[in-house]
Amino acid sequence: MPASASVSSSSSHHRASPDLLVRLGSTDPEVKLRALREVKNQIIGNRTKKLSFLKLGAVPAVAAALDAAQSELLIQSAAALGSFACGFDAGVRAVLDAGAFPNLISLLSYPDDKVVDAGARSLRMIYQSKLAPKYDFLQVENMEFLLSLLSSENEPFTGLGASIIIHSCQTDIEQNTLCHAGVLKKLINLLEGSLSQRDGSLESLATIMKDNPEAASKFVSESGRALSSVIDLTKDRYPRTRLLASMCLIVIRNTSPCHLQDIGIKTKLVYLLLELLDDPGQVGEEASFVFSSLITQKEDLQKLAFKANALDKLHNQLLNYSSHPRRFQGILLVLADLCSNLESCRSKFLSLKALKLVTNALTNDNADVRAAACICLRSVSRSIKNLSAGHFTNEVIVIPLVRLLHDPCTSVQVAALGAIGNIVVDFTTHKSTFVKCGGLKLLVQLSKSMDPTMRLKALWALKNLTFLADNTCKEGILLELTTPLLSSLICDPEASVQVQALALVRNLVDGCINSVEYAFAENDIILDAIGRQLQSASKAEIGIQGMYVLGNIASGNEFHKDAVMHQLIPQVNDGDCSFIVKFLRSNDSQLRTAAIWAIINLTFPSSPGASSRVIKLRNAGIVSQIKTMVNDPSVDVKLRVRTALGQFMAFSDGSA
Amino acid sequence: MPVRVVEAAAPSQVSGANSGQTLPPACTLLSVGQAFSGTQNVSSLQKDEAWRVNVRIQGCDLEHGYLCGTMEALNVPMADTPVVTFWEGEIVDTKNYTFFTGKWEATPEDDIRHWTKFPSFSPLVSQVKVDGGKSLDLSNYPYIFMRWKEQYFVNVGTDCGLTIAGFYYVCFSCSDGSISGFYYDPNSSPFQKLELKSTNEGRSGFSFSSYELQ
Repeated sequence: MPASASVSSSSSHHRASPDLLVRLGSTDPEVKLRALREVKNQIIGNRTKKLSFLKLGAVPAVAAALDAAQSELLIQSAAALGSFACGFDAGVRAVLDAGAFPNLISLLSYPDDKVVDAGARSLRMIYQSKLAPKYDFLQVENMEFLLSLLSSENEPFTGLGASIIIHSCQTDIEQNTLCHAGVLKKLINLLEGSLSQRDGSLESLATIMKDNPEAASKFVSESGRALSSVIDLTKDRYPRTRLLASMCLIVIRNTSPCHLQDIGIKTKLVYLLLELLDDPGQVGEEASFVFSSLITQKEDLQKLAFKANALDKLHNQLLNYSSHPRRFQGILLVLADLCSNLESCRSKFLSLKALKLVTNALTNDNADVRAAACICLRSVSRSIKNLSAGHFTNEVIVIPLVRLLHDPCTSVQVAALGAIGNIVVDFTTHKSTFVKCGGLKLLVQLSKSMDPTMRLKALWALKNLTFLADNTCKEGILLELTTPLLSSLICDPEASVQVQALALVRNLVDGCINSVEYAFAENDIILDAIGRQLQSASKAEIGIQGMYVLGNIASGNEFHKDAVMHQLIPQVNDGDCSFIVKFLRSNDSQLRTAAIWAIINLTFPSSPGASSRVIKLRNAGIVSQIKTMVNDPSVDVKLRVRTALGQFMAFSDGSA
Repeated sequence: MPVRVVEAAAPSQVSGANSGQTLPPACTLLSVGQAFSGTQNVSSLQKDEAWRVNVRIQGCDLEHGYLCGTMEALNVPMADTPVVTFWEGEIVDTKNYTFFTGKWEATPEDDIRHWTKFPSFSPLVSQVKVDGGKSLDLSNYPYIFMRWKEQYFVNVGTDCGLTIAGFYYVCFSCSDGSISGFYYDPNSSPFQKLELKSTNEGRSGFSFSSYELQ
């Protein structure tokens, strides 16, 4: 009910009153104008007021004034609509739902400059929201219009042009179309313009060049001063300009590193962003995400950041900003990047006692923060030194992480699976903590998910949990997972899931010799599934993991070895050569290595049936294939071939 | 200056300034999960003594020349239980690390004195004396040289009366997975020899497990 929004307030001036709605609909232009002004003045910068007017249904009434003939009415209507849309998605939606968008566009060709100005400002606000309609750059007239906006002397016009690019340029086709139409040149000119023009231009340039080496090269070669202008703007007195200039340089560097080789600029960017992190407002918030894009997957930059004491600063920020979700998320992601490669960073992180703060963030109300905390834990738990000491398998960390496997948000579940996958590697006997917390049950559940990423990550974690696990732990895993489920996962439609399932079996049958029996449960269905997968292996990695499973089984007793022989050389030969010969001939040295190890185990000198297996292998053409590999380019393969040939010789009276 | 080639398997010298790929071979016998057992000779002038030792590889990162694992000493006289330590290794790949230790109180002379105890080091010695081996290409060499440094006690306190102040010079044979090493600590008996063999834990063959960090 619209009337319910009219709360009883002592001051009629600050109330979204139904009376105002009536006046907005008045046929008297003076009354209407006053009402529009009143709405505009009340909602500027006031989110609560915007919501209150929205609920009252004021937006369609304001938008209706765009049909008027008087300039002043048009100006006030456009300004009020722009205010509704400014930084407020519900407002943008209401303006769009009221059908105001095409009318605002048509204001841009109105004969009165002030009207045009108001229309451009309003549209700019709308384009700053994700909800704005996508602008089609591929239409010739649209591109012409965009170029005219960017060429204008008028600040609201150039601002609108930049907002359109930032909002709608997403694909490389769009990026290239903008480049070819001459947009880069216009944007470079705007780098010399006013503050808002510079900022708009920098952000647009970053949008156009992101992951597009062609665009980055065109920008650098467009004019001798283009790149140096951006570099100069990293020293601008306005923090937002400095941030956007550094963002632009990072985009260029990440897209085409050849353009920014200088170590000096890398160091400057690190220090600049660390300084911008101190900004208490939006610049500080965004700085963490920009910083993350600078150092992610770049060990040299992570080293520079470490030397610049980034960890101390980020630790302080963690303490100060835990109640600001977006900033907190950004800081956690930067910490994750910093700790992703360098042990020195992880060690410093742990010495600062930052682990406790990150663990607390696992139960944060905000899903993005929870996911970022998991990603951070995943990076820190790459430290084998600390995994080996069992530092991550205490209940304080494991219990909240396991709970996140239930999280309503998929991205949090996936991030939690990533952290758990590392933590369960644990080389000590603490794997039981994870199982006791119900983690195993949940991982098995997620391995049945319809979502392939979830199945992949869950199996990955189960594989790591099985690594060097004792028999009790392995029995528990197989009891929960069940033999039929495991064999169906070996044949999963996704190759990456098959690889993880095979690697899990590889770990399952490793260790104590009794473990080999796991592969023979329930009428050998696991072993048969592996044989089938290897016969039709679509990726080298499937062959590698599958051959290690067979190799591990072949290190068991005579019965085990003969079962592997049966997989390698089926009784009924349909004319195709066995998959093992294909693997031995593979270009992938790891696959050749895995295959040759299985042969070494099958012909292991101390086993009684070795000699008859050598004969079978020779008859199947496998021995002659191995003989061709004595000069294999891989040292590992070459040495294993020597071992295998030595073993064949022992059973063949020197004639092998 | 070209290095003297002793046999066909001797390492070649990297030509030119651009050394390219010189990482040692990825050897399956030195991969994560692999176990080794043997002895460490801790004899002194007073008595002959050897401790049984088990080693397990827990991490391997060839890109950074890094290896780590645990070492378990079984019949340590002053301990009630086997003593387990965690160690980290530097792989001499001439990219991340050379034959010169440059720390842990080891001078280049100490380094050469220890490395020359390994017969497989002899084809390298002349070049190592020049530049620590920086210009050698070990990528096809069937031996991997490392330094293992114990970092902490896993199952006993630091008050156990034992020290992990020193480090090991280690040579791993890619052919059979055997490991020999010499413990170096200026304050302990010199040249305590470590000898380990790849174990197959009761199997008739070799078994390989794996994990991957994300």
